[in-house]
Amino acid sequence: MKKIVLIIQIAMLVGIANLKAQDSIPENELQTENPILKISGEFLGDERFLLNDNDQWFWNENRLSLKLEKKSENGVKFFSEIWFRNFGLPAYQSAADLYNKGILNPNEIEIRELYVSKQGFLFENLDVKLGRQRIAWGTADKLNPTDNLNAYDLEDLLDFGRHRASNTLNMNLFLNNEFSLQAVYIPFFEPTNLPVSVFANVLNSDFTLPQGMTLTAQSNEIIQPEFSFLENAVYGFKFKGYAKGIDFSLSYLSGRDALPTAAYNTFTPTDGWGGVSIHSNLEYAPVHVLGFDLATNIANVGVWAETALYFAKEDVHIKNNLSAFYPYLPQPVISDSIFWKKTESKLKWVVGGDYHFSKGGYINFQYLHGFIHERGNENLSDYFFLRYEKTFFNEKLKLMPLSGAFIVTDWENLNENFAYAYMPEVVYFATPEMEISLSAVLFEGKGNNLFAGLKDLDMLMFKLKYSF
Amino acid sequence: MKSILSMATILMILLSVAQVNAQDGNSILQKVDEVMFSPNDMSATNKIILIDKNQKQETREAKVIQKGTDKRLFRFTSPASQAGIAFLSLPNDVMYLYMPAFAKERRISTSVKNQNFAGTDFSYDDLEAKAFASKYTPKLLKTEGNTFVLELTPKTKGEYSKVIATINKTEYYVHKTEFYDNGNKKIKEAIYTFKKIGKYWNPAEIVMTDLKKNHKTKMIMENVKYDTGLKDDDFTVRKLVQ
Repeated sequence: MKKIVLIIQIAMLVGIANLKAQDSIPENELQTENPILKISGEFLGDERFLLNDNDQWFWNENRLSLKLEKKSENGVKFFSEIWFRNFGLPAYQSAADLYNKGILNPNEIEIRELYVSKQGFLFENLDVKLGRQRIAWGTADKLNPTDNLNAYDLEDLLDFGRHRASNTLNMNLFLNNEFSLQAVYIPFFEPTNLPVSVFANVLNSDFTLPQGMTLTAQSNEIIQPEFSFLENAVYGFKFKGYAKGIDFSLSYLSGRDALPTAAYNTFTPTDGWGGVSIHSNLEYAPVHVLGFDLATNIANVGVWAETALYFAKEDVHIKNNLSAFYPYLPQPVISDSIFWKKTESKLKWVVGGDYHFSKGGYINFQYLHGFIHERGNENLSDYFFLRYEKTFFNEKLKLMPLSGAFIVTDWENLNENFAYAYMPEVVYFATPEMEISLSAVLFEGKGNNLFAGLKDLDMLMFKLKYSF
Repeated sequence: MKSILSMATILMILLSVAQVNAQDGNSILQKVDEVMFSPNDMSATNKIILIDKNQKQETREAKVIQKGTDKRLFRFTSPASQAGIAFLSLPNDVMYLYMPAFAKERRISTSVKNQNFAGTDFSYDDLEAKAFASKYTPKLLKTEGNTFVLELTPKTKGEYSKVIATINKTEYYVHKTEFYDNGNKKIKEAIYTFKKIGKYWNPAEIVMTDLKKNHKTKMIMENVKYDTGLKDDDFTVRKLVQ
């Protein structure tokens, strides 16, 4: 019902906007600096299938991204971006499902951003933005350890760096043209949404049971933080500047870990042969994050570095309740280990560079230490990303013959703990508004790491994007 | 002895002529800079028409503001796939790119100057508003009708070995520039149409031809306004990401 109301509201908004555009605004005025209401967006068609599983389709996405924007001369801006999606494959299992269009043809609506901003609010140097918005921190290319204000959107694991927007009060005070201070307050924490489709279990940690036990069932419950003013809030500050040819920023964030920890696990025997079920209480550990980033040019090479130091606000425990195995003992049997001591920080960082060659060549390299799902300094893997692209025919065609990532989880036993993803791509810009891309992703690896878990999921992807 | 004397005389004459030519070249280039870079600031809309060898055309539009010779903000308004993408150029080759999809600015490496700008036949370097005298050493090659022909040698090594510029003798604006690669082969040619707006000469239209690709870019400047009082604050990352 809510969705229907939302659709009607959006349709009315679009209708009103169109009426206004048709009735009183000459077409060319929509291109001026202060349009009455600018409507733009894009259509994305994204189809993927697996190469080594009988060419099985696994991804179907048809997305309309609709953007409405209005800028006033007094520095007020309204912006919204809404996704209308036909996302997923039909999943009918019984005749009853044939009555349900939601199963046969899964559609959804998502408000990606919806905010109002004011330049020069109260003071000339203060900008304020209020509403659902994306605040991207960090100078690295899509892989940003300091980008923790908004929840990660891991739905498509190959779309690195995608986040959801958050309901936010965002204030920027410009001290001069080089230095600024930013304060951000997000009243309630929103958790990361996890990968879907074939990527669904990739980020799950390995769970090692004691010898002789077999997992027969698993359930969990997320302990959601209370909606109190600070308890559930995410807030942060950033000092940003430019000096001696270097852009840099220092940031602090108070929030929660991006992924939950199984803080309390209750083990229950299910049979007499070692079968066990586990019920876990999942909690998002409160964290402090200190960040630093920079970007500059060295000998015509663009260079960036970014690091984030994560501290748990309290010791993060993992407790295992094994009482069901010892019914005759008067006291509960609970093992308690500290998963993350508050005195122990974890440091994730990235360095990278890029260079433009004459005649359309471009290379981008990044080294990342610690991916989003990795915890504990000793468990952080090393990731090397490389992309070389070249354009042809006046930028009508772009080839990315060298594109991919290499992971090392244990340098001392490299042969058993590595993985790579090779991602060649070709993009054809059919018209200024339309681009068509064809790409493949080939995974290989050994050990317990992100891409090794995908090694049976080599895929081919076709995307079409039309902007309007 | 006579021959030595006459040789020395010829050499001295040649040297002094070369010196006069160099001086002439410098003073001409200085006057060109005065004509082309004298406004305090400028704002305009750019229509960029790409024309391929089959005469098929694509049009892009952008707004540009500029202050002095080293501050420029360029924002695409069409086509839809590029609308909102903006470049900010600041002194000392500091450049930022803003792409709305990424919700933040990005520092661009200076190597981008090797590249053509957004699919046009202009390189980033060609579009720089830096004074010619700061980039090139001039030599007057000849005077031809109502024009001077200067050979401009880049002071720092780049994509061109030299540029031949044809300059209006009375108004000191540029008619034509021909660009030569490091193998001394002519690779590009730009034809300028200047119009006077108020007290300034404005390059109302520039047609840049890539001779190798047989591809042209026509850049038309419209709604040009000079000296509107643009401030340094208009050329900041804050304004870029608006």
